Amino acid sequence: MTLRWKEALFAGAIAIAADAAIAAPVLAEQKVLRVGMGADISGLDPHRASLTTDKGPIGWMFNALVRFAPGSADPKDIEPDLAESWTGSDNGTEWTFKLRKDVKFHGDWGVLTADDVVYSLNRAKDPKRSTFASAYSAFKTIEAVDPLTVRIELEHPVPGFLGLVANYHGGNIVSKKAAEAKGADFAKAPIGTGPFRFVEYVTQQHAIFLKHEGYFRGAPKIDRIEYRFIPSETSRELAFSSGELDLTWGRREQRWIERWNKREGSIIDVYQPGEYRTIHLNTTMAPLNDRRVREAVAHAINVDEIVTFIGKDVGPKGCSVVPTGYLGEDCSAGEYAYDLKKAKALLTEAGFANGVTIKSVVSNSNAQLPVMQVIQGQLAKAGIKLDMQVVDHPTYQELSRKDASGMIFYGAARFPVADTFLSEFFHSSAIVGTPTAITNFSHCAVADKQIDAARSEGDPKKQMAYWVEAQRLIHQEVCAVPLFNLMQVFLRSDKLDYGYKLTGALNLVPPITELTDLKK
Amino acid sequence: MTAYVIRRLLLAIPTLLMMLTMIFVLVRLVPGDPAITILGDQASEQALRSLRAELGLDQPIYVQYVDFVFNAVTGDFGRSLFTGRTVLEEVLVVLPFTLELTAASVLLATLLGLPLGTVAALYRNLWPDYVSRVVSMIGLSLPSFVVGILLLLALAVNLGWLPVITKNGGSVGDHVRSLVLPTFTLGITMTALIARVARSSMLNVLSEDYIRTARAKGIPPARLIRRHALRNAMIPVVTVVGLYFGTLIGNSVLTEIVFSRPGLGKLIVGALNARDYTMLQGLMVVFAAFVILVNVFTDIAYGLVDPRVKYS
Repeated sequence: MTLRWKEALFAGAIAIAADAAIAAPVLAEQKVLRVGMGADISGLDPHRASLTTDKGPIGWMFNALVRFAPGSADPKDIEPDLAESWTGSDNGTEWTFKLRKDVKFHGDWGVLTADDVVYSLNRAKDPKRSTFASAYSAFKTIEAVDPLTVRIELEHPVPGFLGLVANYHGGNIVSKKAAEAKGADFAKAPIGTGPFRFVEYVTQQHAIFLKHEGYFRGAPKIDRIEYRFIPSETSRELAFSSGELDLTWGRREQRWIERWNKREGSIIDVYQPGEYRTIHLNTTMAPLNDRRVREAVAHAINVDEIVTFIGKDVGPKGCSVVPTGYLGEDCSAGEYAYDLKKAKALLTEAGFANGVTIKSVVSNSNAQLPVMQVIQGQLAKAGIKLDMQVVDHPTYQELSRKDASGMIFYGAARFPVADTFLSEFFHSSAIVGTPTAITNFSHCAVADKQIDAARSEGDPKKQMAYWVEAQRLIHQEVCAVPLFNLMQVFLRSDKLDYGYKLTGALNLVPPITELTDLKK
Repeated sequence: MTAYVIRRLLLAIPTLLMMLTMIFVLVRLVPGDPAITILGDQASEQALRSLRAELGLDQPIYVQYVDFVFNAVTGDFGRSLFTGRTVLEEVLVVLPFTLELTAASVLLATLLGLPLGTVAALYRNLWPDYVSRVVSMIGLSLPSFVVGILLLLALAVNLGWLPVITKNGGSVGDHVRSLVLPTFTLGITMTALIARVARSSMLNVLSEDYIRTARAKGIPPARLIRRHALRNAMIPVVTVVGLYFGTLIGNSVLTEIVFSRPGLGKLIVGALNARDYTMLQGLMVVFAAFVILVNVFTDIAYGLVDPRVKYS
């Protein structure tokens, strides 16, 4: 009996070893890029997806009329993508794009035509099918002039128009036939023209992408991408250390970056766009409805100290309510210098010599709570008690939109043009609680005229002047206190060569292109 | 016994219905808007309203409740608000992983815990007893995520014997290797618990008169323990195993996260964070059904280990 058990165990071990030995060489012949991300994919419809885990692979699967050069998030680096050329009218309201020939969609979904472009942009404009519809509201008509020509007419000139038809959010072009045939299921099996095609998604485990052999820029060097969902940051790091991952999310913290920079075989990428952290002050909620109290808060926050806390590489200081590096950013209004005496004097002047209490709903996320605790300590020195209600992130998102907070810490990355931030955070039409609400938590409404004028201004110099004035007015009204720009951080194996220099990625995840390679 | 099992299962129906109602209410009392989670912070109020209507979240609460209960009793738990996939589809993908891990952990814990507890009782206040108690104490004190990370560091990163990430779709060998560390991590606490219960139960049984009588009759010690003492000491152990088996299904979430294993625990945490009402409701039904089934099986097991137990 004993012998049988031993035999059975031995046979089992041999079977397992043989099974592994047979399976291993199949993948060894392929170049497999293993990416570790912190959460599951929720959907891969480019016109819907807003989570980083979704936007990364969308960037690998889709193209647009134009694109940000791989590795750049700078609108100055926009280059041809599906359109080989384009022209714009003098007043910037009419644009004509000439498409490339023979661009193939993934699988058997045919060749790209102007109809696909028209369908995609109309889809991006439709609030029922797109998260980003409001960005396309100025699109008057989108028409196919011929199978390879698309004309777009705008209601008025749009700042950074090319960004709206670039490979970001609503600008991505989907297969009309596939989107119509799949309906809501398109998000589960998307069809684009990009270098990688979607193959499989398994809940809580992975998504698999294979190279698109018919990609118009040439077949990618990487054969397969395994996109693994690993919620624990520690486990992602351990998997990277054991060689099970080639690319993974990094922690946006100075000490973490310095530690990994010393490790052999690993490369840290720190790149744009940062998520711009701002403190929004609710101008309708007492005591912050008094401008002097808001100013006192602004002078009691020591931004330099916060930047030291976050780290110079990952959290460079901001100087305007428009994020650093965005087209239209202007710092001429100056900053709210850290000055406790002035803060206390302003409070006394406002009738709060004994201090004030400000309510704030705070997310318990690692990216928010520690910073708010630092700010709480700083404000206390000026006699401002920050009454923090710490909740989980979805609750924070909902309560912030219900005016439950006097002070709202918020981080966001948008298309890098001043108009996006000014419109979403400081225009009266975006005030929370209104039918057209987006994220104007401060109820700021002092610069509507300038924001609107800049949006429809064709002359770049005049447009810039409007944006400068808008930022000055918002600064004067103390609607928000700019803090820092939290950069994107990824950790990669030194065997992974992107094929470009990574300084920015609008989809927040490094682009994997036909040139990206894994060295043996 | 069949009649008993059927009666127990029928009794489970009102329990499930009550739980469905409680879950429906509780989930909606939690603040947070699924539409914002799905569309992101950039979505306009118009887009959010449109999505709420599409998901049926703009319907009166009683309409949502009636729909939910009617669909649930017909086996339709709806679609995840977040991924759009059916709840059943999502559950069935991860369920085998949870069952596999739970069963492996329970098996490991029983195989280690039972002998450990028995030996401790037999050698009461001698070194085997002290060793068993110290091992149990360590097992109960160590949080599973600490054990998991230590095991990963030692055996996966430093020695490279086992993988960090659980892989699906690889070879059988890969799969078995992926299961080893999570099983130890999850099984360690349960081993300690079983050892403690087994020790205390054995000590009670060993002081019984019939054991003294059996000894006096000259029954060899090994047979005495196996045939007379152990079977009678098993009832509390079976109870603990049954109870723990039910809770392990939900408690395995930390192990699932540390080892990147799919599982029901991780699914429920994700659904809670995303305010995915339909997924949460569906998962709660699955959990409740499991606990009820495990309880029924535990009751049946009592009869198997102790013939004095009667079903009525």
